[in-house]
Amino acid sequence: MNNLHGILFAYSATRRLKELSEHRTASSVPFGGRYRVIDFMLSSMVNAGVRDIGVIMRENYQSLLDHLGSGRDWDLSRKRGGLRLLPPFCYTGTQRGENYFRGRMEALGGVSSYISRIRQGYVVLADGDIVVNLPFDHVFSEHLRSGADITCLCTKNFLESDYTEAFYTLNSKNRITDIVSGKAGDNSDAYESMNAYIMSKQMLENLVSHCAARNLHHFNQDVLQAMKDELLLYAYPFDGYCARLTSVGAYYKHSLDLLDPDIRAQLFPRGRPILTKVRDDASTYCGQDSVVRNSFVADGCFIEGHVENSVIFRGVKVHAGAVVQNSILMQDTVVRKGGKLSYSVADKNVTVSENHMLMGHSTYPIAISKGAVV
Amino acid sequence: MKKTCVAMLLAGGQGSRLSVLTAQVAKPAVPFGGRYRLIDFPLSNCANSDIDTVGILTQYQPHALHSYVGSGLPWDLDRLDGGVHILPPHVKGREGQWYKGSANAIYQNINFIDSYEPEYVLVLAGDHIYKMDYRPMLAAHIEAKADATVAVKEVSQDEASRFGIMIARPDGTIYDFEEKPEKPKSTLASMGIYIFTWEKLRRFLIEDENTPDSKNDFGGNIIPNMLAAGEKMTVYRFSGYWKDVGTIESLWDANMDMLSGKTTFDLFDPGWRIYSRNATAPPYYCGDSAVVSHSLVTEGCEIYGQIYNSVLFNDVTVAADAQVRYSILMPGVIVEPGAIVQYAIVAEDAIIRAGARVGQEPLEVPNHDDWGITVIAGGVTVPEGDSVPANRIVGKDGPL
Repeated sequence: MNNLHGILFAYSATRRLKELSEHRTASSVPFGGRYRVIDFMLSSMVNAGVRDIGVIMRENYQSLLDHLGSGRDWDLSRKRGGLRLLPPFCYTGTQRGENYFRGRMEALGGVSSYISRIRQGYVVLADGDIVVNLPFDHVFSEHLRSGADITCLCTKNFLESDYTEAFYTLNSKNRITDIVSGKAGDNSDAYESMNAYIMSKQMLENLVSHCAARNLHHFNQDVLQAMKDELLLYAYPFDGYCARLTSVGAYYKHSLDLLDPDIRAQLFPRGRPILTKVRDDASTYCGQDSVVRNSFVADGCFIEGHVENSVIFRGVKVHAGAVVQNSILMQDTVVRKGGKLSYSVADKNVTVSENHMLMGHSTYPIAISKGAVV
Repeated sequence: MKKTCVAMLLAGGQGSRLSVLTAQVAKPAVPFGGRYRLIDFPLSNCANSDIDTVGILTQYQPHALHSYVGSGLPWDLDRLDGGVHILPPHVKGREGQWYKGSANAIYQNINFIDSYEPEYVLVLAGDHIYKMDYRPMLAAHIEAKADATVAVKEVSQDEASRFGIMIARPDGTIYDFEEKPEKPKSTLASMGIYIFTWEKLRRFLIEDENTPDSKNDFGGNIIPNMLAAGEKMTVYRFSGYWKDVGTIESLWDANMDMLSGKTTFDLFDPGWRIYSRNATAPPYYCGDSAVVSHSLVTEGCEIYGQIYNSVLFNDVTVAADAQVRYSILMPGVIVEPGAIVQYAIVAEDAIIRAGARVGQEPLEVPNHDDWGITVIAGGVTVPEGDSVPANRIVGKDGPL
């Protein structure tokens, strides 16, 4: 599998994540008790045998850099290849002062010299902000088997109606016959794009220079839609669990998805682990009278109170007499005696003081900013 | 490059009293405290004490230990200059030989130590649970201009006969030494942690090697010989938690101590983390019917049953209606519905089938002397409905 190179796009800043993406890109939002969202795509690539991975970033990337480091925790700290961080440097075709990419092709155009030095014959491109455990090795062998110019991953399992990339209509052989931007409309057979693709390095280089020369920047419109009849586009429909964290509500809902054993089995299968930055915590201690029910709890927590239907990140403390229900508590958050949280998402290092109470609603959970003291 | 102090960690022992738990691995590689192995404690102490050069002497069943230590990265001991060095016995010239004793193991690596030109050598055991800053001990050694400093812990008169006992003057100078005395003259137990002035130790190691009937042991030979020769030896008193986990009983005990947190041994102390090579597992899941009380639970576990006063390592599954009390479940153990595990150590990947009973409460056993911790070896399956009584050890080929 060493003939596949990975490129991850980690620059999307979902404003709708509000407090949760104040300090970070969508890719470095903490998720699932001990991970950052990017761990899922990154591990999917590593588990498929991808050994060289470039991460394109643009703004608010400090927490992402801190998380990825040398790439050692993903076994990507290598003398030859490994992890390559691609922060902004100089972008061809980008207007000075603009702080976003107009499209994916523009982001790729900015790293064209990096692309030209890719050692592998094929490239997998994906977003860093999707929660999924993808079998890229299988996608790759399907790509080679079908002889496609581009294999496009797609699914019917994204449920967020407020965010759509593109929809594909497929023929019986999974060849893409039509591409629609925006809503799927009435076509219930359409698959939603996962914005992940495999193509040859040559194809990628050609597309990047084609777009750069014509001031085209959007992969979906300027490449896929514009060239759908010239190129052999095949789809890889993925029917496993996948989720986009497009809003606080979606973040909340998908975090609690992890309480479902079926979804956990899909995201964390043996043999394809999700790797993340190591933190040397002890095991979690549950006190004499603690109650922990239907919850997903990471290491290093000290739980003496009551936790129910919740996701608890590393190093969280729930004191005796505190109650946490239907909530997500990110790392090192403390809920003191008598504190009560329900339907809330507490970011890192939040403190809920004694006898204080915060309650959201299942359809409108409260997000509490990093480091806040309630 | 020259180092002030090099640590030598004795990790070659078989630990035969741990029975089936050390059948496949050396004692320092035995899992402990939810996510550690015994060797993590001295290695983390070294890392936290700024000792960056550690020789690890291995001999018995070294493979698991070697791959666990690896480059030393989890303990921040992968260094350009220094770091961990795994030192198994090796062939020298025409022939090689096994390590004959703790002193001989160091003797055989004199060249390794010399390469760092250290002034002092810290000798450590690989099977003790404690948090200790070695820097003040080294400072005391230098201050006293001692040739050897022995870390000691005050123990009760009863316990004293299980240890090597140091008899010292009020200023800390050792003037006598007794190995496991019946009537101890002092209650200062040697912790098996020594700092030597290298030049002196080097001479005594060579001398000891040339003594035909020597057991080549630190406690039995080097310390008494230095004392007899009138070298300056002092004690360094340590008052924190320290436990030698050489037996099934003490291993179980020490694991239980980890539950009491701040009162005994605080694993959560941010100022003195214990590092380990991490298992890769998602957070643990606690089901609706689960009860977890006064216990340590590690990532990767799936808990639907009841857990009281126990230590669960990563990836343990406890099914609904199963009960685990006062027990240690090592990585990957499965406890099926209705099974009861109490006062037991269940090693890696063992399966306790539905309705089986492993271990007994002390009160269930009529004669107290018959009671003890039950041990299930790694990979063993206890069949459905079976009972394994107290004090029993079940190996791969059945009860021992």
